[in-house]
Amino acid sequence: MAESTEIEGVTEVFNRTAVEARSANEPEWLAARRAHAWTVYEGLPMPTTRLEEWRYTDLRRALDLEALHLGSVDPLPDDPSSYPALLRATMDEDHEAAGHLVIIDGAVVHTDIREDLASRGVVLMPLREAIHAHSDLVEQYLATEAVPPEESKFAALNAALWSDGIFLYVPRGVRLKNPIRVTRWVGEAGAAFFSRTLIVAESTSQVSYVDEVVSDDFDTQTFASSAVEVIAKDGAQVQYVALQRLGRGAFYQSEQRTLAGRDATLDTLNVSLGASVSRVDLNARLLGPGSNSDMLGLYFGADDQHFDHNTSQDHVAPHSHSDLLYKGALDDASRAAFRGIIRVHKGAQQTDAYQTNRNLLLSEDARADSLPNLEIEADDVKCSHGSTVGQLDDEQLFYLMSRGLPREKAERLVVLGFLGEVLSRLPLGGVVEKVTRAIEEKLRA
Amino acid sequence: MPQNEVIQGLDLDEYKYGFVDEEQHVFRTQPGLSEEVVRQISAQKDEPEWMLEFRLKALKIYESKPMPEWGGDLSTLEETLDEIYFYVRPQDQMERSWDDVPENIKNTFEKLGIPEAEQKVLAGVGAQYESEMVYHSLKKEWEDKGVIFDSIEDGLKNHPELFRKYFGTIIPSADNKFSAMNSAVWSGGSFVYIPKGVELETPLQAYFRVNQERMGQFERTLIIADEGSRAHYIEGCTAPTYSTESFHSGVIEIVVNKGAHFRYTTIQNWSTNMYNLVTQRALVHERATMEWLDGNLGSKLTMKYPSCYLVGEGAHGNILSIAYSGDGQHQDTGGKVVHAAPHTTSSIVSKSISKGTGRSSYRGLCKVYDGAVGAKSNVECDALLINETSRTDTYPYIEIEEKRSNIGHEATVSKVGDEQLFYLMSRGMSEEEAMALIVRGFIEPIAKLLPLEYAVELNRLIELEMEGSVG
Repeated sequence: MAESTEIEGVTEVFNRTAVEARSANEPEWLAARRAHAWTVYEGLPMPTTRLEEWRYTDLRRALDLEALHLGSVDPLPDDPSSYPALLRATMDEDHEAAGHLVIIDGAVVHTDIREDLASRGVVLMPLREAIHAHSDLVEQYLATEAVPPEESKFAALNAALWSDGIFLYVPRGVRLKNPIRVTRWVGEAGAAFFSRTLIVAESTSQVSYVDEVVSDDFDTQTFASSAVEVIAKDGAQVQYVALQRLGRGAFYQSEQRTLAGRDATLDTLNVSLGASVSRVDLNARLLGPGSNSDMLGLYFGADDQHFDHNTSQDHVAPHSHSDLLYKGALDDASRAAFRGIIRVHKGAQQTDAYQTNRNLLLSEDARADSLPNLEIEADDVKCSHGSTVGQLDDEQLFYLMSRGLPREKAERLVVLGFLGEVLSRLPLGGVVEKVTRAIEEKLRA
Repeated sequence: MPQNEVIQGLDLDEYKYGFVDEEQHVFRTQPGLSEEVVRQISAQKDEPEWMLEFRLKALKIYESKPMPEWGGDLSTLEETLDEIYFYVRPQDQMERSWDDVPENIKNTFEKLGIPEAEQKVLAGVGAQYESEMVYHSLKKEWEDKGVIFDSIEDGLKNHPELFRKYFGTIIPSADNKFSAMNSAVWSGGSFVYIPKGVELETPLQAYFRVNQERMGQFERTLIIADEGSRAHYIEGCTAPTYSTESFHSGVIEIVVNKGAHFRYTTIQNWSTNMYNLVTQRALVHERATMEWLDGNLGSKLTMKYPSCYLVGEGAHGNILSIAYSGDGQHQDTGGKVVHAAPHTTSSIVSKSISKGTGRSSYRGLCKVYDGAVGAKSNVECDALLINETSRTDTYPYIEIEEKRSNIGHEATVSKVGDEQLFYLMSRGMSEEEAMALIVRGFIEPIAKLLPLEYAVELNRLIELEMEGSVG
């Protein structure tokens, strides 16, 4: 094994043996897929700040793979009373849902779906079960079109080592009134967890999905890796929401890709509030004519938190539309990087694509870096982007204070108003209140 | 679509200055770059020892740096560089008066319009033919004011202390691969000093010209605008079309001292087989203003990002960039502003037009260091696409470490609107007139800042583009 330790990212814990252990009792196609992903992983260099995509996050300092162990994958008994307090509180806040799924550490412990939906063919189940129960669908979509291992070093690592995840399938024409709610808990400090989400919405179906990850603070670095694949077929409408509220000490990495078919709408919202280092890679691919994607993001940093959002909007088909808005406020010595790119591919005429990143610096030591990029290879398009970095608006503060609010409260209101714009664009039941409360808590701290 | 036919037919890319003179040179180095070549250049120029050492050190840095992997396609450049003559001297002596300039060089200038410029009582015309200043005139009144406008070689000879104090300090050799190359083999360019409080109303002008197949030009310019001075320097480039690729890599260093105001204008119209990789940077001190006006029309690939390092309180930087990319051209241009002092302000405005298979990329940096309280910067990029094969990119880098600052960036991409065309044509204009008018309107905010002759030339160029466009 002396040779393999020289490959970047291969350790005593992360190696082919671990991948093979994961493959036990799995169908052959999956074992082969994991083995292939591992080969890809070994062949890719660990990203450095020399790469444009990693310019502002130095992995050599941000992540210590050597110190991590693989997290537990055995499901706990499905007993809500034994859930950690913060997890229970998080779930209690949730409004009505079409179904629930709970993941604790590396395994799904609970799943429920409304019976009327199940009878119409809606599937919500742990991915580990779906590989048997819906092997044809999973084999077709898992780590193939959306987030294949070739996508990146982290995508390959996840595809090789994932332990469990979510499979959501909505049949043709079925429309869910209430969202699917997924809650994750990470409890084991010093561990690495790999999960996947696969959402397939057949044509003209409709579904909202809210995924929240929470934890207490960790005293040693803990790694949560997530790969998210969302596929909206022709005319489907999908909303994907990810709330990240991990404790300090966590390194969070999420590789997300959405595929929108003809006239499909695929909106996403990423809220990043927790973790010490949080990295989201989101690629929206507008594959069908008339497809549409609203991409929203919100981050609020304190202490020495580090957020890095790397987004891309790929307009492959003509007449497609995308609109991105990422807003962040940064306090203390926190830092945020946003890198976004709109790519209008050859022939994608009549594209409308927009991209806006706005940052608010609340402290002398905070820092924001923004790289909004455009690459346009068609001429009949409307594209624009904007990026700003600034401080609290004195006039707004002055106005509120003139109405009798103390400065601190006025500042809180302005920050909430600034970030609230993002939430108002995707006013999903419960999400707005939940995020607002989390921001308020952070502002008070 | 008749409109499309019109646009396809637009042919401004036929290079207007594509004439070729017979080569007449006294000395030239072997093709390719080596220590021997560097030593020869230095010996030919009879340079002091420190400059030879500076060049040799830069050569080592050049060799140690990898080719950039970003920006334009430089994949065939390395082969090209082996065949380039790094130094060619057209004449032994510097020419003092117009009468002494050889006839074939005069002809070239005539086609470029330099004599007319002279007749219009333009300011001092420093014309660079091949690698050295061959013609240099400076108005008497400027000499009286103490203004220095010399070739860079004479600057080194005649003003050694001033020269050494600043040379290579604003753009160190190690800044990038091509600044290292230039530092090793530089030849030609201007040395300018504007004394304290001196204001020049007429611009200083230099025409650059490359006229030898496979010859690289490594112009080096050093400008010092002393406290409270005010001046405008204009550099214009044209080059004949050659079949093999050519190469230009300049380094322009400018110091704008306290309270001074300096503007540097380039209208680059290299022939479309030219690699144009230039480093331009100004160090801007307290309450001083630096303006870059950067027009990129020619070359096969240009990579050029004029920059302002705002190091004194209240310093201001202004970058106006205009790019035109026709078939096969790639303009990778933009600007950089670095705010390193309180209350510094900057603005970047970029306009680009891509036609045929042309590609225009804006690449820029806005950096605000911790402590640059009250820094303000605004960046605006507009891109116009003419054909469906055209391409445009925007790559801004915004890095902010100071809370008390306000930074904005905006970019839009659009095509020439059918409605705009239809409206103008309904008023009796031909399609090509309408198109020319729209394009002129698009670049007008920048064109209006040019001195009259340049604005006229730019407009003429656009009209030329539209000529013969109706089939």
